[in-house]
Amino acid sequence: MTGWVGYTHGAMQPQLMSGNEAIAHGAVRAGAGFACGYPGTPSTEIVETAAKLSGIHAQWCVNEKVAVETGVGAALAGVRTLVTMKHVGLNVAMDPFMAVSLAGVNAGLVILSADDPGMHSSQNEQDNRNLARFAKIPLLEPSDSQEAYDFIAAAFELSEEFDTPVLLRTTTRVSHGRGLVVPGEPVELQPRPYTRDISKYVMVPANASKRNHRALQRLEELRARAEVSPLNVIEPGTIDFGIITSGVAYEYAKEAFPDAWFLKLGFSNPLPYQKVLEFYGKVSRVAVVEELDPFLEEQIRALGLPVYGKEYIPAEGELDQDAVRRALEPCLTAEPPARGPVTIPGPQQLAPAPAPALDVKDLPILPVRPPVLCPGCPHRAVFSTLRKRRMVTMGDIGCYTLGALAPLLALDTSLCMGASIGMMAGFNKALGKKAAVGVIGDSTFFHSGITALLDARYNEAEGVVVILDNRTTAMTGQQGHPGTGVHPDNTDGPAIDIVRLCLGLGVRVQTTDPADYKSLEKLVREEVKAPGLSVIVVQSPCILYLPPEKRTVEVVDDNCNLCGLCLAIGCPAIAPLDDTVSILDNCIGCGLCADVCNRDALIMHGLNEMAGV
Amino acid sequence: MSTAEQAFTVSLVGVGGQGILRAAAIIAHAAVAAGLDVKSSEIKGMSQRGGSVLSTVRFGQRVLSPRSDHADLVIATELLEGLRGLPLLAAGGTMVCAASTRIQPGAVLRREQEYPTELAEQAAARGVRLIALDAEALARQAGNPRTANSVLLGAASALLPFCDDDWQAGLAKSVPPKTLETNLLALRLGREATTSQEARQ
Repeated sequence: MTGWVGYTHGAMQPQLMSGNEAIAHGAVRAGAGFACGYPGTPSTEIVETAAKLSGIHAQWCVNEKVAVETGVGAALAGVRTLVTMKHVGLNVAMDPFMAVSLAGVNAGLVILSADDPGMHSSQNEQDNRNLARFAKIPLLEPSDSQEAYDFIAAAFELSEEFDTPVLLRTTTRVSHGRGLVVPGEPVELQPRPYTRDISKYVMVPANASKRNHRALQRLEELRARAEVSPLNVIEPGTIDFGIITSGVAYEYAKEAFPDAWFLKLGFSNPLPYQKVLEFYGKVSRVAVVEELDPFLEEQIRALGLPVYGKEYIPAEGELDQDAVRRALEPCLTAEPPARGPVTIPGPQQLAPAPAPALDVKDLPILPVRPPVLCPGCPHRAVFSTLRKRRMVTMGDIGCYTLGALAPLLALDTSLCMGASIGMMAGFNKALGKKAAVGVIGDSTFFHSGITALLDARYNEAEGVVVILDNRTTAMTGQQGHPGTGVHPDNTDGPAIDIVRLCLGLGVRVQTTDPADYKSLEKLVREEVKAPGLSVIVVQSPCILYLPPEKRTVEVVDDNCNLCGLCLAIGCPAIAPLDDTVSILDNCIGCGLCADVCNRDALIMHGLNEMAGV
Repeated sequence: MSTAEQAFTVSLVGVGGQGILRAAAIIAHAAVAAGLDVKSSEIKGMSQRGGSVLSTVRFGQRVLSPRSDHADLVIATELLEGLRGLPLLAAGGTMVCAASTRIQPGAVLRREQEYPTELAEQAAARGVRLIALDAEALARQAGNPRTANSVLLGAASALLPFCDDDWQAGLAKSVPPKTLETNLLALRLGREATTSQEARQ
């Protein structure tokens, strides 16, 4: 047991639990309502245990990427969520893992990575502590079952306080090892209803760069917290030898050297520099004991502090107390290493932004020119329709992400490729109702939407998935994909039918042409009301890829009262005048403005009509 | 070019779809034909969606960095983007702008903001030499309104160390063969318009 005393444990009896069982019980005690993951040794028993407990929904996802996306959806809905996987599973989930670091969470989101030093049942060894550092998020490392139980609650609190996902990292001996756990009192939670925030949850470059800046600030705030966290403790010893350690390696080292000083890091990223420096004031010899990578060691060395590290401790396989004792015995009596100057990275002192060569102080504030959906883009009709339903709309990555910008403001989120469907499923599952829909392009659906739809079907998620099938990978310049069968050299291969693919999953599928706006509206209205999961495939080629037949729009000035319905579709081919609107030269005649007009002020003229037929 | 060692920087600014990337390619290929080292870079992810586009070409005896925020010359294919591009200029720099080309962004179309037109005043206040011309009209005169960027390149050509053969080579590498003659004519009209503008001043 450690000196960590973050929570009061009531008068309950200790129970023997594996670390995984303790995490599941600890999550429920901390108010978590949603657990998902993909099975993988040594992480599997967490979701299995959660499934037996009341008050928490537990589900297997089709893979770890979909699990994280589902978890983000559930956390946004306001439910504390735990997502579990083994170390290599996090490789599969890296895309949403990196993106949610920037977007942040609503209710707490804890991602559990169970690493497998020694490769008892894995294809590789990897130290996922590196990935917490990579993603600029906090890392908690329990050493035994009690800490597993306690740290999950601390992880949820950190997640909500700092608006960040938290990586809870165990290893085989923590997850599968058993120990006594004194249960704690249930944590009282305040409701955290979802609030729409496009600037936070839609990761277009302009938003993501601000969120990235925020993540860097957050990292330093977290470091300050790690300095004072009760999870990071200095345990006094009686000999002039100190050990810095985390996770199960603490147990090995403590058993090997009970008289040594210890800096036990339960909250190990970002590294609390001052705490490390304080520890170096206690002893003249310091060893770092950690399994796998020199994760702490390299950061401590970078401060200029001498360490007995990986030249003594193996960087592969598991440790145990004998291995640690054998490895470090020579260091106990060694001449203490010389200490040079120590450099703690201070706050950033960036050079001031260079003054422009020209004086630009008095330049007027210029109208911005963000990218927009093209005039005649078939996506515009879908967003115009979805806006009216006032559903939470989980978006995805492609041209259609532009639907999040003014004046459409039709998307709530865009996290990473293929995230829309998992987030929709998690959001709806967490709330127990059909509150969110998903919007995804055809190429993105083939990229990684298929697995998420498979998952939503398997888990009987509610929702409507709108697939914008414009027959190309539009945003990057009209590349082919499996739905078109087109290869980079423009040769044709087999084309996969989205509708039949979805039908094969047993999902209800409807198709529509956005040019028939009334039918599209009716279909969306019906599907949003209907129970269960359905797909609407909106079929209309990208106008850059296959320009439609030219039609023209006539403005009947007397009928126009400038109500703004046609302006709200955000088309760059319509402009308001003083008492009517004007159709500009870049109009291709898609007719959406006429469809949304309810005063017959916009009249379409087709090719036949113009030819006098 | 300030010194033999220093790279000359041209930044091209405009609206996605206006052919900024191709205009940059013409300059880059002309520099190659002139026997110079060249680097260029652009941000083109949004280039087909009507957003602001910036492309930079640097040439000289030896070019290291592919980008610079201190351009010797800014070529703007649209008036508002010309204003936006003013801070890209080094002191003593020149801007060539298609000042009659105005593409209203959404906020202006929706009357949330005014389209700013004071490029000449803002340039003068900062000592920027401005070559403003109606590139579209000259392009139509050349026979194809889509050669407006060649008009701008012609207007800028007095500042660039390329001979006629270099321009011809640059255009030949970048425009469809059947439009080469029209583009060469547009380039010449742009150059003549600038010369006569200078003569008047």
